[in-house]
Amino acid sequence: MAVTDVNRQPVAKPKLPLWVWDAWRIGSSVAATLLGLLALTFFIGRMLPIDPVIAIVGEQADASTYDMVYKQLGLDKPLYVQFWFFISDMLRGEFGNALFTGNKVSADLMRVFPATIELATIAITIGVCLGVPIGVLAAVYRGSPIDHFARVIGLLGYSVPTFWSGLMGLVLFYAMLGWVGGPGRLDVFYIDIVDRVTGLMLVDALIAGEWEVFQNAFSHIVLPASILSFNAIAFISRLTRSFMLAQLSQEYILAARVKGLSKWKVIRKHAFRNIAVQLLTIVALAYAILLEGAVVTETVFAWPGFGRYLVAGLLAGDMNAVLACVLIVGIIFVTINLICDLLYRILDPRTK
Amino acid sequence: MRRLLAPSLILAATLAAASAHAATPKDALVMAWNLDALITLDPAQIGEVNGNDIMINVCNRLVQPNIKDVAKIEPQLAESWSTSADGMTLTFKMRKDLKFPSGKAATAHDAAWSLKRAIHLNFGNAANLKEWGFSSEKADQQFVATDDHTLVVKMDKPYPVGLVMSAAFSSNVASVLSKETGEKNAKTTDSKSDYGNGWFKTQSDCVGPYRVRTWNANDVVILEANDNYFGKKPGLKRVLIRHVPESGAQRLQLEKSDIDVGRLLSADDLKALATNKDVHIEQTVMHGFSYFAFNMGDPILANPKVREAFRYLVDYTGLEKSVMAYLGKARNSLVPIGAFGALDEKEGLPFKLDIDMAKKLLAEAGYPNGFSMKYILSANQFNPAVAQHIQANAAKAGIKLDLEQMADANLFTKMRAREFQIGQIGWGAGYPDAHSMISRHAYNPDNRLESKLAQYPSWRSAWFDENINKMTDEAMMEKDPAKRIATYKKIQEHMLHNGPMAYMFQTVRPIAIRKEVKDFAIGPFKVDYASARK
Repeated sequence: MAVTDVNRQPVAKPKLPLWVWDAWRIGSSVAATLLGLLALTFFIGRMLPIDPVIAIVGEQADASTYDMVYKQLGLDKPLYVQFWFFISDMLRGEFGNALFTGNKVSADLMRVFPATIELATIAITIGVCLGVPIGVLAAVYRGSPIDHFARVIGLLGYSVPTFWSGLMGLVLFYAMLGWVGGPGRLDVFYIDIVDRVTGLMLVDALIAGEWEVFQNAFSHIVLPASILSFNAIAFISRLTRSFMLAQLSQEYILAARVKGLSKWKVIRKHAFRNIAVQLLTIVALAYAILLEGAVVTETVFAWPGFGRYLVAGLLAGDMNAVLACVLIVGIIFVTINLICDLLYRILDPRTK
Repeated sequence: MRRLLAPSLILAATLAAASAHAATPKDALVMAWNLDALITLDPAQIGEVNGNDIMINVCNRLVQPNIKDVAKIEPQLAESWSTSADGMTLTFKMRKDLKFPSGKAATAHDAAWSLKRAIHLNFGNAANLKEWGFSSEKADQQFVATDDHTLVVKMDKPYPVGLVMSAAFSSNVASVLSKETGEKNAKTTDSKSDYGNGWFKTQSDCVGPYRVRTWNANDVVILEANDNYFGKKPGLKRVLIRHVPESGAQRLQLEKSDIDVGRLLSADDLKALATNKDVHIEQTVMHGFSYFAFNMGDPILANPKVREAFRYLVDYTGLEKSVMAYLGKARNSLVPIGAFGALDEKEGLPFKLDIDMAKKLLAEAGYPNGFSMKYILSANQFNPAVAQHIQANAAKAGIKLDLEQMADANLFTKMRAREFQIGQIGWGAGYPDAHSMISRHAYNPDNRLESKLAQYPSWRSAWFDENINKMTDEAMMEKDPAKRIATYKKIQEHMLHNGPMAYMFQTVRPIAIRKEVKDFAIGPFKVDYASARK
């Protein structure tokens, strides 16, 4: 029975609703995380022995040209001043120009990021559609040939270098069988036919009603997405298997079977539902990793994506491009985490 | 299962539609290349191979070297030129039918503005003008358009006309850009104009057979025929240059006819393609070198016998047939074959692999037991294989080389700052005259560290020889070609045994071309896209 302390002073009610405090707490934590990430990247990046001026003036430039560009880039200022310039520009939505493309970084990102989103989304779709069933079947038929098959898939997915599998995929499916398109997002016949709306080639082709372009874009994306998904299939299937094994060994599964529920109904309605939250976490993580860009896949398939852009920026010492990319990666992880948090509440009422 | 049927059928139909086209368009030249280095299309700023290769087909220059006989200068935008009696004034007569792609006439005023712009912007290419006494302060007096078709150029010395034409007025800085477009798009920062550099970085408005239609960095460059071009119309209406950084992927595309031309293929892929009847490999000996440079600031390397010993540690002809197949031709002299004043093939390759000779020279230099050195190099292409070859041979002579591979930008930074002992790198001559290499690799106007003359590889290596400087100056001003050649030969012979660089290979540029492409004219200083036909 609750006892009321009559002498206790009434607690002052918060002036703002609780959701505002929640938003403030989350917002400040996200801002601090991103700022820390940017600061770390900036200062480490400036320690690298790569001179961004050379990328602009060329290796044969004289000292006066070099000094002119050095000052134009603000490299004569102390590091903290350079960082402050970047942050203040960024808060105004301006990332500056990328040294190695000559374009505004924001314009470059609008071009390369959709290419990666398209590739990563198809890859994760393949990864989930194959990885989850393989993992479930491997757990249900533990020790059977299906389980061994899942293990082999897992082993190959983790161990086969993407560079090799990409090239072999091209040799087999593109060069020998002719089932898929070659490197690049489109055949040369279709370049510049469709207006850019979203930057997602498949979506833009549909918006424009260009079915042939859609087919061609699909034929170009299916192989790199499949190669990229191979690792995701391995990752998701292995973890799905262990999550399912943990659930299938629980007593409530046995109880449900004793009550007369069919094997697959128990698996579907009880065991699988209980791994949904864990599964969501790993799928989100795999998707976030894919969105960071896959440099090797993008290189082999000449895919003008985010990963190659980031690496090219890094190799040119282009901190504007690198910091903008790091910010995007940070935002991807934060956003995916937030979405996951929201989905947990839907999937698991206990987390509300 | 029925639920899976519909999506499966869609997937099958989509895949069946793939690769419907087995060849490239009839009216387009499709090339695959690694466009990673392409950072600007502004002729005043271009400092790398891709940009130069593309923009020479977009922006004509005042004059041009003959595509095959590069020492011969021909008219291009200027139909003729003359020199004043004192040799200090050049007068160019511009063609009267020059038009920009928009249809607007291109004049001598555009030419004068373009030259002044290049020197005011002061990017690396400005050196092509500054070397001949042109300067930002005097540019208004030095480049004058006296009417729409006459450009008068005033020099500070009576330089040999052929040399100046080759070095300055056939180079990127002599491209004629639209003054109107440049001024309209100019941006001023700290009261300094960029002369439209921000605009010209990604677009074009100049006189040439093609215009830039699209450039998506690290993706594709599309050129379109310029309908207002004064010269012969291009054989193919469009040129598509796709960014395909992986050699194996380029090879597959070439074999499948998805591209017409492969521009960056590895030696292994080229060897495989050499057996393909549908593909022809065009090899062009370029005016560039792969070499390793010694830092003379190091007391061991300052000894000429040590440097000489290193020259005997490379199997030049062996590497030419293996690692450097399709990529390099053995040569030790610093002036490339094909350039005015070059030593012939035999004279230019006096060294061969000779470990005993290297040991003998090291003993004479006072290092019979060898020494340890750090050897830096680019991680790209053939460089690691060549460096490992040198490392293995050096070990036999008692020298321990610690190889350090790095990104190109890092390598350039270290070498420009003299922060190396031995560095393996490349260099391309700007024009086909011995002066181009000698004036950078043998000549060093000021060896002091604080002079920061990093544009001179000789300075980077802390190499200074007053006599060589004097001979270079004399040769530059010498009007008698025979005397110039004689002086250049003396310089080359001296540098072969004493210089701070060990030249190994003259660069070869392999281009794999499908048989459908005809008449594709390729020279060391120009790949003429407009000549290609199908």
